[in-house]
Amino acid sequence: MMHTILFFCLAAFTVFSAYFVITSRHLFRCAMGLIAALLGVAGLYLIIDAQFLSAVQITVYVGGILVLVVFVILLVADVTQKVFRQGAAWRKSVSAAVCVLLFAGVVFATRAFPFPAPAGNDLKSATIEQIGHALLSPGPGGYALPFEVISLLLIAALIGAITIARSETRPGGPPENSL
Amino acid sequence: MNGPTLEHYLVFSALLFCLGLYGLLTRRNLIAMLMCTELVLNAAALNFVAFHHFLYGGDATGPVFAIFIIAVAAAEAAIALAIFIALFRHKRQLDVADATRLKL
Repeated sequence: MMHTILFFCLAAFTVFSAYFVITSRHLFRCAMGLIAALLGVAGLYLIIDAQFLSAVQITVYVGGILVLVVFVILLVADVTQKVFRQGAAWRKSVSAAVCVLLFAGVVFATRAFPFPAPAGNDLKSATIEQIGHALLSPGPGGYALPFEVISLLLIAALIGAITIARSETRPGGPPENSL
Repeated sequence: MNGPTLEHYLVFSALLFCLGLYGLLTRRNLIAMLMCTELVLNAAALNFVAFHHFLYGGDATGPVFAIFIIAVAAAEAAIALAIFIALFRHKRQLDVADATRLKL
């Protein structure tokens, strides 16, 4: 019962933060709302005993991606000035209708689909040890190859990001170092 | 123990997904759209972990997929933000309607 109450508190907190992210007109506040939403999801991971994922969520998302996003917001936008155009009203209403329909459809499908009964009465999540074995063991049940591919992807993304964002110097002109 | 069930988690992640999708459809600023994408990815990862906990009794596949989702999100955010910086350098703004060409 305690867990259910905690679940509803965290879910309400996360949904409120997510709503703030999608409606706030101030980019920096959007980023703060996103941090709150990600922390809420990390708490939801904790409720179902996924401690490792919760830690990964906080370190990689909040500590990595969100810091990057905040840096870029500070680089590209004058945070004291919040003039970016809003979408048209018809676009908003059509999007809202699409999203409400999709949500209703998903909830209906969730209710209608006969999920198998939970395996046993004691629900459990994978421990860090099991996740580590699964990530690094080759062969059946192991994800060593996808793990290596992800490493390659991260390296490629790193090099690509540096290449794209590097400030180029115009030929015959002063170096463009305004940003 | 009488905790939340699988349905709680599925309905919540559907709600998070739809909020992210709404933001993605209505926001005009590229960075705000990227943040909405993060919401959508989080909803998907939460689904993987919930199925793993409630139906598959601790099989490590669910968390592994969630970790991969987070890693891909990190790579995607790095590339997208680099593109935004390059775009901002030329256009001085980050509105989707103006970002019609990737090449100068």
